[in-house]
Amino acid sequence: MKKFPPGFQDIVPFIAFFAIFIFFMIASHDERTGAFRMLTALNLRTVLDQTMLTIVVACGVLFVVAQGSIDLSVGVNLALSGVIGMWAAHAAGVPFLVIPVSLLVGLAAGVFNGVIVSRFKVPSFMLTLAMLIGIRGLVNYIQTKTHAQRLPDELLFLNTPAVKTAIFIAIVLIMAYVFEFTRTGRYGRAIGENETAARFVGVPVGKMKIVAFALSGLMAGMGALFYVVTVGSTSQQMGVFLEMRVVMAIFLGGVLVTGGFSARFYKILLGSFSIQIIINGLALVNKSDALISQSVQGLLLLLILLVSSLAGKRTARGDDDHTATSGQVGPR
Amino acid sequence: MSAPILEIRGLNKRFGPTQANRHIDLTLREGEIRGLIGENGSGKSTLMSQIAGIHIPDSGEMRVRGKAYRPRDALDAYEQNISMVLQELGVIGNLPVAVNVFLGRTGRFTKCGIVSRKAVSRATEELFTKWGLPMPPLNQFTGDMMIETRKIIELARALSVDPDILLLDEITQSLSLNNRQKLYELLEKLKSLGRSVIVITHDVEEMLRITDTITVLRDGEVVGETVSSGTTADEVKRMMVGREIGGDYYRADNRPEHGDELVLSVKNLSVAGELDDISFDVFAGEILGFCGLSDSGIHSVGRAVFGLSKAAAGSVRLVARDMDITSPAQALENNIGYVPKDRDTEALMIDASVLENFVLPSLGKLAGAMGFISSGSLKRLASERVAKLSIKCEDIAQRVGELSGGNKQKINLGRWLVKDPSLLILDCPTRGVDVGVKAYLYSLMKEAKRNGIAILLISDELPEVLGMADRLIVMKGGRVTGMIDRGEAFTEQAVIEVMI
Repeated sequence: MKKFPPGFQDIVPFIAFFAIFIFFMIASHDERTGAFRMLTALNLRTVLDQTMLTIVVACGVLFVVAQGSIDLSVGVNLALSGVIGMWAAHAAGVPFLVIPVSLLVGLAAGVFNGVIVSRFKVPSFMLTLAMLIGIRGLVNYIQTKTHAQRLPDELLFLNTPAVKTAIFIAIVLIMAYVFEFTRTGRYGRAIGENETAARFVGVPVGKMKIVAFALSGLMAGMGALFYVVTVGSTSQQMGVFLEMRVVMAIFLGGVLVTGGFSARFYKILLGSFSIQIIINGLALVNKSDALISQSVQGLLLLLILLVSSLAGKRTARGDDDHTATSGQVGPR
Repeated sequence: MSAPILEIRGLNKRFGPTQANRHIDLTLREGEIRGLIGENGSGKSTLMSQIAGIHIPDSGEMRVRGKAYRPRDALDAYEQNISMVLQELGVIGNLPVAVNVFLGRTGRFTKCGIVSRKAVSRATEELFTKWGLPMPPLNQFTGDMMIETRKIIELARALSVDPDILLLDEITQSLSLNNRQKLYELLEKLKSLGRSVIVITHDVEEMLRITDTITVLRDGEVVGETVSSGTTADEVKRMMVGREIGGDYYRADNRPEHGDELVLSVKNLSVAGELDDISFDVFAGEILGFCGLSDSGIHSVGRAVFGLSKAAAGSVRLVARDMDITSPAQALENNIGYVPKDRDTEALMIDASVLENFVLPSLGKLAGAMGFISSGSLKRLASERVAKLSIKCEDIAQRVGELSGGNKQKINLGRWLVKDPSLLILDCPTRGVDVGVKAYLYSLMKEAKRNGIAILLISDELPEVLGMADRLIVMKGGRVTGMIDRGEAFTEQAVIEVMI
């Protein structure tokens, strides 16, 4: 099999991003007005808003994925945090209460996931899948009582681009710092590479798992705030399918499902933009056929993952006898 | 002299840019036990795997009993009664022992498409009895079993084809002393039946003891062939390396010595099903050796001291810090280092880089204000040490899985030495590394001792413990059965008496 140059795998997500961007930019060209519909101010703002939400949630999920686990509960977690936070703010008559309550609810749900996964060794996929179903039911029940709740006027200022972007950048910087430059981030990636080896070196594996899920939950709570601020109210559609969008963003960015040191912070930024451009571009190009959009999303994801996995070093091990067995049978 | 069974002429095998085997000639006779020896990367395993049909030679020919022999794959070789036990583990964890033994060949136990587990178990039982192997529970999944047991299952699988030629790649390093003895008896038995065996082992003394003839490989070529009874270990080592190996392989002195400071005190430690009422002290600059047969619990001691197993009773007290060690995180924090036995699964992140593997235990030390770890400091640490330990790799970004066993082990030990630990737990630290690296690792141990590091040296190789330790604890069935100081009575004979 032909060899890709080293590092090619890391470039694939960039190529994919630009290919997607240029493709949809051209496809969104409006014959009548001569403008690129994708690049209109209004559309760009929509894309940015949605991408910010995806990135904020992905910031937390990245810690979980780096450990080789997965958190599928972030979508419903976001809905739960937002609904309870808004309810608390309205009930107490204190608008700002929505912020701490949403964050705390998200954090609590995350800690719960983490404790179950680390103490009872339940596979994270199963657990968070169960949460995805169970909490959605709970959210729907609460919403039948509260209905959609409007964002208090006192908080509308948060939706100004300057404020929102500043908060977003602060969050990204903090999370990137923790992930790339502290023990928490590096230990998590070590767990993803080889959990046994991490434990045998003295990495507090159980604690690190709880921390990762807690951060994932906290960021889902943060996502809830971004959602209600942007949309202006809670809704039935809150967080629906968000977990898939976030997970797709992470994998599109080039993080491997197994986590480990393939997980890098910049990848979620890249992946989040890619996935949002796909979603947005499909909507622009073919408004009448929104149903097909999901199939195309799925196909594109498959395609990109295929290319990056073909280029990847981990698949290259199967290339020929030499690399397949270099550790034992081949030359050393 | 008996008739030749296998003749190899002009065998070449190339992997990418590396010529792994260069014009190999070898003649194996019936009833001959042949040792293959050479440094890591000399092409021993490559040669063996071509005989076993795992790799296909680029050129050259092999003949079995005078007829051309060109195995298409391992099963094809099996059908011609040639089988191999690989260096790496090759049993399937989610299948019971018996099915693993007859893997891919369960056809004869199949009725209407269903494999009769009973019939397979019966055949396996007969097999283990016939060859005198210790029998594991046949219906249990192999995944939960110890490495040693799994290795024996692989051996049984190789024997199940009733081999004319049996190929053993580094099997003894996974076996404890008593099962090594069983293996030696097995080799004798095969020999008396006129079967031939080719053995790879890094242990030169063992090789001299169990083989009839030895073939030495260096850089893919045969550099010498000798009769085992007519040579010495030093001679063989010299042929392997191509130069004289220094005389100070182990320690030269014969006196126990250590500093005054008590580092670790283990009192009445018990771990359910593993250890029973273990007590010992170890001082700064002391090497405390542990040896015993399989199930003696020596490896459990290492895990327990590092806080990896839950103590049912007793305590592991780090005297210098005046605290009890109960978790691996605490052990790491308090400057204890641990080199586990199974390098590839327990110690290293095989798919990660040299850098990531090397710095992992030091992250806590490198973290500054707000937990900041700069990637510059990590790179500096790794590249300095990689150079100092002369670890052979392209650069520190290379995947650890691509390195040889010796270099992996240098990382495994070296990454703890950087931290200047107060206590170092070494579980089989020279397992599967060649003599050159072995000598180097011993010199590192001696240096660590001089620097006042207390060392627990747990090993399945008696000469190693005798050569390095100040004091030796002999264990059996999870209990301490004897303690011997370095000195007059520090011999294999004396230890084995206590051990059995």
